[in-house]
Amino acid sequence: MTKLAIIAGTIAVLAASASASFSQDVQNDRFKEVLDRGTLRVGVQGAFKPWAFRAPDGSLQGIEVDLAQTVADHMGVALEPVVITSANRMEFLQQGKVDLLIGAMSDRPDRRKIVGIVEPAYWTSGPTLMAKEGVISSWDDIKGKPVCGKQGVFYNKIAETEFGAKVIAFAGNTEAKQALRSGKCVAWVYDDTSISADLASGEWERYEMPVDTVFSNPWGAAVPLEEMDGIWGTFMAGMAYNWHKDGTLIELEKKWNVKPSPWIQKMHDELQYDDSYLEN
Amino acid sequence: MMSYSVARLTWRAPAIVGGLCIAATLATTFTAEAQDAGSGQMSAFAALVTWMPFILKGFLLNLLMSVLAMALATVTGLFLGFMQISPSAFIRLPAKFVTHLFRNSPWLVILFAIMLLVPFQVTLPGGEKVLIPDWVKATIGFALPVMANIAEILRGAIASIPSGQWESAESLAFTRGQTLRHIILPQCVRRMLPPWMNWYALLTLMTPMAAILGVSEALGNTQAAMEAAGSRPEFLIPFYLFLMTIFFVFIYPLSIYTRRLERRFSAGA
Repeated sequence: MTKLAIIAGTIAVLAASASASFSQDVQNDRFKEVLDRGTLRVGVQGAFKPWAFRAPDGSLQGIEVDLAQTVADHMGVALEPVVITSANRMEFLQQGKVDLLIGAMSDRPDRRKIVGIVEPAYWTSGPTLMAKEGVISSWDDIKGKPVCGKQGVFYNKIAETEFGAKVIAFAGNTEAKQALRSGKCVAWVYDDTSISADLASGEWERYEMPVDTVFSNPWGAAVPLEEMDGIWGTFMAGMAYNWHKDGTLIELEKKWNVKPSPWIQKMHDELQYDDSYLEN
Repeated sequence: MMSYSVARLTWRAPAIVGGLCIAATLATTFTAEAQDAGSGQMSAFAALVTWMPFILKGFLLNLLMSVLAMALATVTGLFLGFMQISPSAFIRLPAKFVTHLFRNSPWLVILFAIMLLVPFQVTLPGGEKVLIPDWVKATIGFALPVMANIAEILRGAIASIPSGQWESAESLAFTRGQTLRHIILPQCVRRMLPPWMNWYALLTLMTPMAAILGVSEALGNTQAAMEAAGSRPEFLIPFYLFLMTIFFVFIYPLSIYTRRLERRFSAGA
């Protein structure tokens, strides 16, 4: 089942990249289409707390849904969040099933060949491990051992290729963490933000985050590749810049109880425009 | 004719199983409850109650998909079945090929193929764009293998009618069409009904596969609910037990009724 999903995802990505290579000219079709339609379809994760997850009435909520709402408000259209998975999000964007991705996507060079990833990034995170106390002391300890992961997350590849772990990828976090508890794997490889939230919840006594993240990788919003240099990509770059500049992201951290990230604070400080000349 | 009361049998077992599931859920949550007392976290049972409407809403989509897929499969399957017994090879051979193709492919592969081949929106002649939702695609993907099996059931039922029936009809100067309509098919219907209902039950139990493709049906919603409630491992047992229970309570009476029909037809045959 998981293999199938991976194969399907791979085919989808290949198909998307094949179609992407044909269209190098700047187009603004998608942007116009959104204005004509009056709704903006944004691809968000469906089960990734607190970025995008379900409310008990079934509606989507979270940091990324709030960010998508600001985009829709600026365009004067209604927002329609569409649930994507890590395996199909880029294909959905290129096909036109969604107009924009704000879906916990790490900005990677291979992904930039397929979709237009907007700078500046709006969040950042990195792979780390959660394990029973005293089991793991460094990344090298997972060599040749089973490690639980989540399907479609590129951290799995890092754990396998760089550290030689045997990754068992699950469809959901709940299942993966249960597998860790029942001893199917020595550690759970995932986002540092998510793991520190788990450890803070008091549900994981006798568990720890024993290693530092390998690196921290920014997350970018994405538009279709052929719109990257047109209105859509340029407008989104402005949106992302403003999220940092006016403190939207810092407010969202507070609103959703995320541990304040030094990176977001740093970006907020750096992306201020010096307009002191207005005082003269 | 029947000495036992089906009504009693039909409702007792699901009630017992449902009761057992709820009891198990309570038992698992009470242990969690004890741990939760200090932390102020939502207990697993409270979380399940909170998310129940969302999961049940997903289950309605499972039922909708199963009913629509069954209707589609029945209509197309009967067509295919009749094509298979056509005297003309031009009609018979393609029908046989299609039937064997869909009968002998894994459901999940058919589902993926349909999901990737069917476009997500079609442009009408008027230039209007219509979105095809994922659950509609999934419904088509579920209908195809069932269609092939229904075609096979029809072919088998027709073949199982003794050839004497055909011969007597011929001696009475019935045409082939008349023989089928007035003599053969009426005898097929009762033979086909139990396997047809079996396939409906199987189809319904297959619908959670759509969760893999992002359709928000009961299984997908259960997983999303567990994540939203904090993805704590103690959710797994109550949530999945509840999911099992709703499917069981829906399907079990159907299977009892199917068995009863089988018995009645075999007695009357």
